[in-house]
Amino acid sequence: MSCDKFSDSIGALTDGTIGPDAKRALDEHLKTCAACRALAADLGRIRDEAARLPRVEPPDALWAKVRGRLEAQIAAGARPGWREKLAAWVAGPATRPVFGFRLAAVSTAVILVVAIATGYVLIRQRGGQPGAPAAGPATEAKMTAPSGNAADQEFVQSVEMELKLAEDHYEKAIAGLEQIAKVDEGTLDPQVAAALQKNLGIIDQAIRDSRVALQSQPTSQVAQATLFEAFRRKVALLQDTIALVNEMRKGDQAGAARALQNLNRG
Amino acid sequence: MGDLGAFDQLYREHAGRLFNLAYRMTGTAADAEDLVQEIFLLAHRKIGSFRGESSIGTWLYRLGVNLCLDHLRSRSHKDTRATESLDDNRERGQRLPAMPSNEMTLTRLELERAIAELPESYRSAFVLHDIEGFGHGEIASMLRIAEGTSKSLVYKARMRLRRILTGPATDHRELR
Repeated sequence: MSCDKFSDSIGALTDGTIGPDAKRALDEHLKTCAACRALAADLGRIRDEAARLPRVEPPDALWAKVRGRLEAQIAAGARPGWREKLAAWVAGPATRPVFGFRLAAVSTAVILVVAIATGYVLIRQRGGQPGAPAAGPATEAKMTAPSGNAADQEFVQSVEMELKLAEDHYEKAIAGLEQIAKVDEGTLDPQVAAALQKNLGIIDQAIRDSRVALQSQPTSQVAQATLFEAFRRKVALLQDTIALVNEMRKGDQAGAARALQNLNRG
Repeated sequence: MGDLGAFDQLYREHAGRLFNLAYRMTGTAADAEDLVQEIFLLAHRKIGSFRGESSIGTWLYRLGVNLCLDHLRSRSHKDTRATESLDDNRERGQRLPAMPSNEMTLTRLELERAIAELPESYRSAFVLHDIEGFGHGEIASMLRIAEGTSKSLVYKARMRLRRILTGPATDHRELR
């Protein structure tokens, strides 16, 4: 009988994973084949000796080196921020246990954008007087804002910066959501997915137009209102999409129908 | 410095095994030290891409194995080859040590030197399985290969080690 036939069995014997039938056949072969007996014994010794190799420990001073380089890396700003982490979570394959969490993260992102955007609009609509009371996260920021025209200007710039950060965050979350949609393209009906893409395209065009208008007329309240209205529409559309996918995953046909109705209404 | 606190804990839990892995992969403590530093720096940069699909240890090992392989590939070793066929039956010019044919002596030093002669793909699977004790499923995940490929690599690594340790005449098929 050819020894080649027993290569897999000898490998499995060494690994301890050989099945009873294969073991019986191999044992029969080993009774008459000195070469295979030697092979099986040698492979077993190699496995045993490898497992017995002493563990080599890192020097005590190594953590200090690692820590020093980590601190330098953090100081250099190479650490990924929470926005990247969110985008990475969102971009992961949509397995059921984490899906809800990732969608929750997206929802958090868009809610944050709307909250900041709302605060921003309130400030700008009050003629650049951020000292006036306003609702939402901007209120907290305002409480610590300095007074006076220069301070007001500084505060508005600060809010603008926050808004820009939130927009970045929002865009990354959207990018992640699109990846989820690709992974789960079978979940959504193709016609629904197409309608969703079409509506998103319309809203994105409105966002682009508003930004162009704001670039030429930075103080235009109409352009501001249009931009944030487009943001709100996109948020609503995404929330409806999230709800629809969740209902479909749960197998709730009635819930899916309601979510679809909302989506079509959007 | 919350990040550093978390990494301190990660280091305490995994640095020993990662250092051993790097040492067994590269064969030198100096390279292993450098690689462990690089592994944690890379982990810090890429922590956002950790999705919890595997344990953080498995994720760190994946980073570590890949860094070790990159290191070996970039190292200008005369024995280092960028890729190796899974069905490699070529003879190696250098055998350590020269042993009487058909008789495998096996000391720790001889085994370590033989492991250092293994092609990268064999070595990584062998070190992870036979030295570090990972299962084939975990190795498959770390190296992004099929589980069957991991089994095959470990088997071929053991066969190659045997041939290195005993000399060419001891190859199983050659004896027939």
